[in-house]
Amino acid sequence: MAEFSDALSVTASGLKAQSRRLRHLSENIANADTPGYRRKTVGFRTAFDATGAPGKVELSRVRLDPSEPKQIYDPAHPLADPSGHYTGSNVNLVIELADAREAQRSYEANLKMFEQTRQMAQSLFDLLRR
Amino acid sequence: MDISSLGAARNYAAARPATEPNADQPGAGEAVKDLARDFAATLRESETLAKASMTGEADPHALVQALAQTELAVEAAVTVRDKVVEAYQEILRMPV
Repeated sequence: MAEFSDALSVTASGLKAQSRRLRHLSENIANADTPGYRRKTVGFRTAFDATGAPGKVELSRVRLDPSEPKQIYDPAHPLADPSGHYTGSNVNLVIELADAREAQRSYEANLKMFEQTRQMAQSLFDLLRR
Repeated sequence: MDISSLGAARNYAAARPATEPNADQPGAGEAVKDLARDFAATLRESETLAKASMTGEADPHALVQALAQTELAVEAAVTVRDKVVEAYQEILRMPV
């Protein structure tokens, strides 16, 4: 019983972590055209709760991508400097979309684990019921 | 005839100490009580989480996890109860 419920809580932490990752990704995509925006990146790390036992996952602190933002030529832009350029964001949509797809796949994997844990517990009780 | 019934009575008296409850050993009652308390705590937790998620305070993942855990707990309790009732009925059906 305890193993099953540990597995369920670890899987739920994975689901939560992936959905928060997706939240930061959508923030990046939404701000792709914001001048001066730097894309946010998050890492994963193992979390230990108060009881210590199950190795859950959680997001580490949000970091800003240090890469240089794009210089966009648009003399009509209100933020344009004398040369006609302004600082855009350093979001690369291809990277964000690939990352979003990876988050989706990981989420699905966690969902499958959740389902499998439940099925295993169910089969165990079915055995008792005969 | 008389002697054999006397022997049965003596055997019965001799067997009695073996079936007496052992006072210094914790019985199943304590364990069952703990289990029931655990079960009630699981139910209460999922109810609180369900309420919190209705008002948008709790994470839906936590709600799903709590509900799945409650489902497991209820199923375990129901299965054990069915087994116990079945055993009890089996004893009742015993020809005396």
